[in-house]
Amino acid sequence: MSAASPPLAEGDVSAPARQAKARPRSRPLFGGRPGLAQWILLTPAQLLLVSLILLPAIWVGWLSLHAVSFTAEMRFVGLGNFRTLIDDPVFWRAVWNTFLVVNAVVYGELLLGLGLALLAAGWMPFRTLFVALLIAPYAINEVSAVAMWRFVLEPDIGMVSWALEAVGLGQLDWSANPTDALVLASLLSIWIHTPFTFLILYAALQAVPRELIEAATVDGAGGWRVFIHVQLPVILPALLVALMFRYITAMRVFSEIWLLTEGGPARLTEVLAVYLYRAAFRYHEFGLASATGLVMMLLSLSIAAPYLYTAWKRMFARA
Amino acid sequence: MHRPGPFGKALRLSLAALAVIWSVFPILMVISASFKPPREIFAIPPTLIFTPTLDNYRELWRAWPAFFDNMLNSLIITIGATAITIAFATCAGYVYSRYSSRALTLSAFFMVLVRMLPPIVVTLPLFPVFSYLHLSDTHLVLMLLYAAFFVSLSTWIMRAFIDQVPRELEEAAVVDGATLLQILRRIVFPLVMNGVIAASLFVIVYAWNEYIFALVFTTRDARTTPLVISEILSTVEGVDWGVLFAAATVQLAPVLIFVLAAQRYVVAGLAAGAVKG
Repeated sequence: MSAASPPLAEGDVSAPARQAKARPRSRPLFGGRPGLAQWILLTPAQLLLVSLILLPAIWVGWLSLHAVSFTAEMRFVGLGNFRTLIDDPVFWRAVWNTFLVVNAVVYGELLLGLGLALLAAGWMPFRTLFVALLIAPYAINEVSAVAMWRFVLEPDIGMVSWALEAVGLGQLDWSANPTDALVLASLLSIWIHTPFTFLILYAALQAVPRELIEAATVDGAGGWRVFIHVQLPVILPALLVALMFRYITAMRVFSEIWLLTEGGPARLTEVLAVYLYRAAFRYHEFGLASATGLVMMLLSLSIAAPYLYTAWKRMFARA
Repeated sequence: MHRPGPFGKALRLSLAALAVIWSVFPILMVISASFKPPREIFAIPPTLIFTPTLDNYRELWRAWPAFFDNMLNSLIITIGATAITIAFATCAGYVYSRYSSRALTLSAFFMVLVRMLPPIVVTLPLFPVFSYLHLSDTHLVLMLLYAAFFVSLSTWIMRAFIDQVPRELEEAAVVDGATLLQILRRIVFPLVMNGVIAASLFVIVYAWNEYIFALVFTTRDARTTPLVISEILSTVEGVDWGVLFAAATVQLAPVLIFVLAAQRYVVAGLAAGAVKG
């Protein structure tokens, strides 16, 4: 999974926070304010985050203002890298492709995940088995997933290609046609990541009181109205957080595209992460890659801003 | 849950069947194709009944001898990353569960914040640093990176599970003169095994399957399985599909079985780290 980034962190602060509230806060003998020993216990985890994520992220901001390569000294260029980005049609193509893929993937997954969650939460024999089979793609790495989907969609010889052709739909010509390649990458991505969205929504649906659904049904509400008036309000917070997390993680999409087309033909199927990777590790323009990285970070943080804001308020409300 | 009528049941079952085909069909196709003789792999209609052969596996062994070394790398890195993550996350989760102050909350918020940053971005500054420190292409680099990107989620999972351990046990131990580390190791840790499994599951699946960091930071000695599979997939003289599927099957089987067997921990981990309440 492209999940250097499990969308799972999902309201992660809220559950423990709510539990903590119910309990008397500080005890004289134990707990309460952290001392030196407690801060030492926190250090390893925080050190990892600071040294391998925070400092590199800040450094990327610094690098983005420089011309950096293996061969020459680092040279300050101000906003030069950003000007290069703005003038580069390949970059804008990558932005546009990312936008298309992210939206297709996020909403495709949301609809599919929601449908599956409702299906699994309702009447269903062998529910445990059903849920297990639905989350199976979560265990598959992206490379194998690409192999699987290429296998069935390989032009002319793949069985799904063949079936599509047979019913007159035509094939997905992903190796030559950029649009088809993006469609295949999106399908693949939806396939791998739907288990996350499904599980988050499925878990959220468990929190809907059974009596409420029964009462609504007795009152004559059909499935649709039960969903809109009873289930949806309960799962809405989880749904929004899942949506936000998938926006952020889908934006990082790399492997699916890289392994299918490497961004080709003619760099027409690049997304932001592929553009960054190519700039850095193919053309050795680390400054340009860093500028792209900064754009990706700022996009992620702005999408996450509402979530971070509410998390901040909730966390400090109890501190 | 109300029971639907016969029509409703039939509808639900057919939708369920479609859903299962969607999620499992590609996996089954690949596993079954790995046991087919190469010329039958692309037979249309696909052969359902065939004499299983291990030829593809033999060919994998012969043509890609490095594959099994790379599996070992993946195994070492996965175990290392999981151990580091769980050790660090348990310590941090314990502090977040039992103590509170504004500074502590700020550090907790920081943990949430850094998870929003895209992993690929950190490769840019880390690439030259790791080369300079002669850390490129080592198991350690991948272990630390994988741990860094999962320590935050794991901390929340551990914290939620530790929240449910009654404090009275620890208080009694304090009275008996136990140190903080002893309390953590002897009293708390054994009681949160479910949390450990739930958190490990996410790290294991991630570390076993990760592609980008492995692509950037390994060249030979620490290469992981997904990288060899991608090499087999992009062989210039045409893909040897049988070998590819054999490799994919060997790679995915352990983690697929693990995820299916530990399914309830996936849900529990999610509920603890995520959607409870």
